[in-house]
Amino acid sequence: MPEIILKNVTKRFGKFVAVDHLNLQILSNSFITLLGPSGCGKTTTLRMITGLETPTEGQISIDGKIVFDSELGVNLPPNKRDVGFLLQNFALWPHMTVYQNIAFGLENLKWSKKRIQERVKELLAMLRIEELEKRYPSELSGGQQQRVAIARTLAPRPKVLFMDEPLSNLDTKLRMEMRTELKRLHRETDATFVYVTHDQLEAMTLSTMVCIMDGGKLQQYAPPLRMYNSPANLFVADFLGNPSMNFVQGHLDQSGLLDFGGMKCQFEPFDAVTLTDQDVVVGIRPEHIFIGDNGAQEATVYSTLPSGMETTVKLNVNGVALNAVEFGDLDYPVDSKVRFSFRKAAVLFNKESGKSIARGKLNLL
Amino acid sequence: MDQAKSQDMKMRRLWGRVRSWLSRPANVILLTFLIVLAALTLYPLLSMLMETFTIHVGREARAAKEAAGTLSLYHFQRLFATSENDYSWIQFYQPFLNTLIVSLSASVIAIMFGGTVAFLVTRTNLKYKKFVSAVFTFPYIMPSWTLALFWEAFFKNVNIGLKTSNGIMAAVFGVYMPEWFVYGAFPIALVLGLHYAPFAYILIGGILRNMDANLEEAATILRASRPRIIWRITLPMVKPAMLSTFLLVFASSMSAYSVPVFLGSPVRYYVLSTKMKSLMDSYPGQAYIIVAVMILFGVGILLLNQKVTNSRKQFTTVTGKSGQISKINLGKANRPVAILLVIILLLVAVVPLITFAMESIIVKAGDYSLSNMTLDFWIGTNLQERLDQGDSTGILLNPKVWNALGYSLGLAVTCAFVAGTCGILVGYGVAKRRGSRFSSWVNSLSFFPYLMPSLAFGAIYLAMSSKIPWLRGFLLLGLVGSVKYLPFASRSGVNAMLQLSGEIEEAAVITGVPWWKRMARIIVPIQKSSFLSGYLLPMVSCMRELSLFVLLVPTSNTILTTMLMQYSEKGWAQFGNAINLLIIIVVLLVNFIVNKLTGASIDKGVGG
Amino acid sequence: MKKFAALVLALIMALCAVHALADVTADVEAGQAMTHDQLVEKALAETGTFVVYGNTSRIATAAEDFAALYNIPYEPSNLKDQEIYTKLRNENGSAAADMVMIQDGAQLADAIDEGLVINFVPASMKDVLSETDQQPALVHQYINKLFIYNNKGDNVPAIKNVWELTAPEMKDNVIFKNPETEKVNMNFLVMCTKPEWADKLAEAYKAWKGEEIDLGSYKNAGYKWVAEFLDNVIFGKSDTSIAEEVSQETAAGKIGLFVLSKLRSSSVLTDNLTVAQYDATANGYTVEPFAGFMYPMYTMVNTKATRPYTAMLFIEYLMTQDGFKPWGKSIGAYSPNPAITVNDGDLTIDVWKNTLVMEDADYILENFEVEDFILQHCQK
Repeated sequence: MPEIILKNVTKRFGKFVAVDHLNLQILSNSFITLLGPSGCGKTTTLRMITGLETPTEGQISIDGKIVFDSELGVNLPPNKRDVGFLLQNFALWPHMTVYQNIAFGLENLKWSKKRIQERVKELLAMLRIEELEKRYPSELSGGQQQRVAIARTLAPRPKVLFMDEPLSNLDTKLRMEMRTELKRLHRETDATFVYVTHDQLEAMTLSTMVCIMDGGKLQQYAPPLRMYNSPANLFVADFLGNPSMNFVQGHLDQSGLLDFGGMKCQFEPFDAVTLTDQDVVVGIRPEHIFIGDNGAQEATVYSTLPSGMETTVKLNVNGVALNAVEFGDLDYPVDSKVRFSFRKAAVLFNKESGKSIARGKLNLL
Repeated sequence: MDQAKSQDMKMRRLWGRVRSWLSRPANVILLTFLIVLAALTLYPLLSMLMETFTIHVGREARAAKEAAGTLSLYHFQRLFATSENDYSWIQFYQPFLNTLIVSLSASVIAIMFGGTVAFLVTRTNLKYKKFVSAVFTFPYIMPSWTLALFWEAFFKNVNIGLKTSNGIMAAVFGVYMPEWFVYGAFPIALVLGLHYAPFAYILIGGILRNMDANLEEAATILRASRPRIIWRITLPMVKPAMLSTFLLVFASSMSAYSVPVFLGSPVRYYVLSTKMKSLMDSYPGQAYIIVAVMILFGVGILLLNQKVTNSRKQFTTVTGKSGQISKINLGKANRPVAILLVIILLLVAVVPLITFAMESIIVKAGDYSLSNMTLDFWIGTNLQERLDQGDSTGILLNPKVWNALGYSLGLAVTCAFVAGTCGILVGYGVAKRRGSRFSSWVNSLSFFPYLMPSLAFGAIYLAMSSKIPWLRGFLLLGLVGSVKYLPFASRSGVNAMLQLSGEIEEAAVITGVPWWKRMARIIVPIQKSSFLSGYLLPMVSCMRELSLFVLLVPTSNTILTTMLMQYSEKGWAQFGNAINLLIIIVVLLVNFIVNKLTGASIDKGVGG
Repeated sequence: MKKFAALVLALIMALCAVHALADVTADVEAGQAMTHDQLVEKALAETGTFVVYGNTSRIATAAEDFAALYNIPYEPSNLKDQEIYTKLRNENGSAAADMVMIQDGAQLADAIDEGLVINFVPASMKDVLSETDQQPALVHQYINKLFIYNNKGDNVPAIKNVWELTAPEMKDNVIFKNPETEKVNMNFLVMCTKPEWADKLAEAYKAWKGEEIDLGSYKNAGYKWVAEFLDNVIFGKSDTSIAEEVSQETAAGKIGLFVLSKLRSSSVLTDNLTVAQYDATANGYTVEPFAGFMYPMYTMVNTKATRPYTAMLFIEYLMTQDGFKPWGKSIGAYSPNPAITVNDGDLTIDVWKNTLVMEDADYILENFEVEDFILQHCQK
């Protein structure tokens, strides 16, 4: 049963369109991520679902209940939507202790003192912050504040939990740790998680579904790996992956003959599609360029960036720059000649629309 | 030999430490201000405390049956423990209770009114916001007694007070207000509360504006109702601002003199400040005890204030995505609330001005017919012959008025410049050495003049100046004004500096830019509008100050306010009203021009 | 901290380099014997601005005329009497007053003792004025505050006896300035308790009630009258506003005790007011036992004066017909100089002296504790 449904949701701030006719279905118990560069409308979308922001048009329903409809004039306030919201800067109340912060939401639900106490203890244990109970937020570290904020959000057992870049204020190590925690929490709480981030790695590692937005428009909505491998358009392809995908302009004819970067290839689509004669952009993931003596094509090494586990090699092929990622630490002298070939898959995009045409294998001729 | 050497080493090490300590400009500034402020605030305070133990020549010596100049506890015994003729009750305890009641209520009114309006303006979609925020500071710009005069003139009637004439409410609308509404504790507290409400508006509004909206949103999501959010989240967050307002309003109300005189004396309602004034001439020792009590109260609230703001609940305002904060929709209540607010503001800020304009053109009081009106009091000539009243020309043709206006403006600008500049320096020193005891001393000292009642402050400076031959006239007035208004400037200076990240200056330190250049080229330009606001508040306060200067002006025609007082004393009410209006217009004009040119405003000056 | 304190102290000491002041006592003594021309000569030899303090606005006009006459730079200052004393005590140097015109004989006596001011009697006045007008301080004029009532309506309080003001029906109908805010009012109330006036009040009581006064716990009839009078009084802001308020059409039945000269003010509806004493004179009765009170306005030389001879010359000028001109135009000011007659429509100073309570600085100084009693009755 679909849990949250957005239909044609639009939000305008004056002339600026923050979210443009967004349609989205969020299944229950999923962990979805709203991903995109800053200003893409992802936070606005989240705030509209929670009710903190009122959409200009459209309809939102949660668990079958319409919480907003511009035409029906329905607009439930946030506290009637049965959602939890974890804010970017934690927003802990500085004048309340950790215990009071967590208990606040339960008091609002008129829980008995005893039940509140039990639930708070349970959460403190779950997030491993029992010893902080009597402290004030100003006396906590960033990570501790984060845990308190999570505990506070989870306390009333919301069916849906929204998170707005909750990890962006933490350092790298803590962020790693909290990611693991969040994934574990998702299992334990059985709730639907909706997560906003601009960090594609977070989106890839955490979610069951990723929703990429740009300029207020939905770009693609798919499970993370599918999105990585079959990006719907150039924007999505570019946004996911680090180092990012190589894009080379080229030309394709009906027979699948591809001419790009001074190279000629035969394109073998994975799916049965009819190829047409057109200008294309060829997208190749860096890890799909394989450097080896048997390679079909020669290139000049521009630079080598070893990072231990892997090495990024920047290649120059007839004036076209290509990033290749190889496993292990390699070191090629600058300007030395190497040979490479393409493996696995490449994606072709229409040059004008940027839309994906097909995914397939590149055979160098 | 060895010993001498080690002594020498020790000295050298000490000297080295002193030198390195002094090489930090913040330390030099703090040290300078500590000395200067000690001389300018602690010395007057101590000399005033001495007065409370000294028998003065004349009446006091005779009453105490002791030689003038002896030190004694006579004044304390007399003021606090004389039951004969209920003396202590009449002169101290009763007025003391009245002062507490009035000052407490004024603070509560200021906080509730200013706070509510601040909330409405920053957190809701209230209509006419622009008008509200533009006019809200008017009552502060106007001398507080103008509102008191207006209140009496508007509501008086033949059943109450002097029971001689009807004000507009009774004459025009036939509404006869009861006595408690027009005279005594209620109107005094209300007028003072309204006068100081802009403090609450500015301080609380500042917090509300900068407060992370997420704090409230988090509560909304957790299903807290609106009232509960305000009660449990918003109010505690603005509590420090409320306490600051409380301190400012309480201290000012306690030393307010004119308002209680105008609205209290017809019903024999006395407060400490009125008692202090009447005791000052015959029993100065007792008058200074009253001043000391007032200061003690101020210091008490100051300490309470510091305790609260220093507690572990202290927070740093993280500005979240408050750009996206959703304003509360007032819905159907919007228009009525907005209109009510506009009416109240018109009543307290605009109608008084119109009233003064009216009163400055009518000849015989209470007669508003056209035949009784004349512009002579503004632009007439030969008035002394025709009206046997005041000066012979209208105020706009009177060179004395223009001279006084020039002097007042010059004085206000000077005080603003000195206080404002010192405020920036204090702010710099205090912020740089934040947390050190040194810095908190200077910070407290620079706030101290605020707690001294103006009248007593003026009297003490007059006494001080008698020992310093060159401290006279403009120099004396400028010094007193600068010290008295330093608290405003130092507050805004400290706030502006605290907002500035230290790295900004450090970047310049590394490239070897000298201190004065860092101030002039980096720090001041960045916080320009905050600093200018720090100049504006002393300027406005100075323009309309009376009690502070009344004893210090060379002649009563020196500044506009003493001239105004002289005219009202002499019963030339029309001249008085005209000058009053002139002062207000000039202040509003200056405020407006500075605001338009630089973006500085009084709001920012209080450190919002 | 100790070091700082020491430093601060040193700094203050340096700033306060005490400045020896020339005393003008010898000059004033010399001046008393000088002729007008000698004074002029000495005065014109002095330099600096001639500064005058006064608690009446008309002194400015007098100073202006005087300064024009001799071409002397001058600066008049209009202050309340308490402020004048505070300033005299604390000011010195060229900015301080050379000459003051001041009321409240009791405080003045203290000021003379303190050496703040010194009395100067011009040689020309020595034989003209009575001794009491010359010593201990030269009286420039007398001022009277009178019972003046609103003559509208059918309950006109045309009093013939001050005890009428203590009747229950006069509650809140009497308007007076708070004695705490202007000392001459306090002095008047203190004077009422002087045995001389207390006796007269006791007699008046008998005349009014037809029976002997029952003093109860009061020390004398004066105390009783003051207490009961104050219980009926409402305090007004200033004499001007009291005059204005009592003169209103709507103020029928009200009576005020204020300065007669306020009747000159254009903001006062003079037609609505009747002076109790005028009415009495016109109808051949007297207000028992007084129709108000009277107090002197003194002129003094500041002992720290930098232009003492100019001050003396000015005092001499003020005592002449020309010098009295600013006050001479209207009612309510009375020169002790017999050459200066009262204004049309006003009564002579001799009549007033017999019908008003005259301030007696000595009695007030000796009986200052009466003020506590008065304060008690200024409470609600």
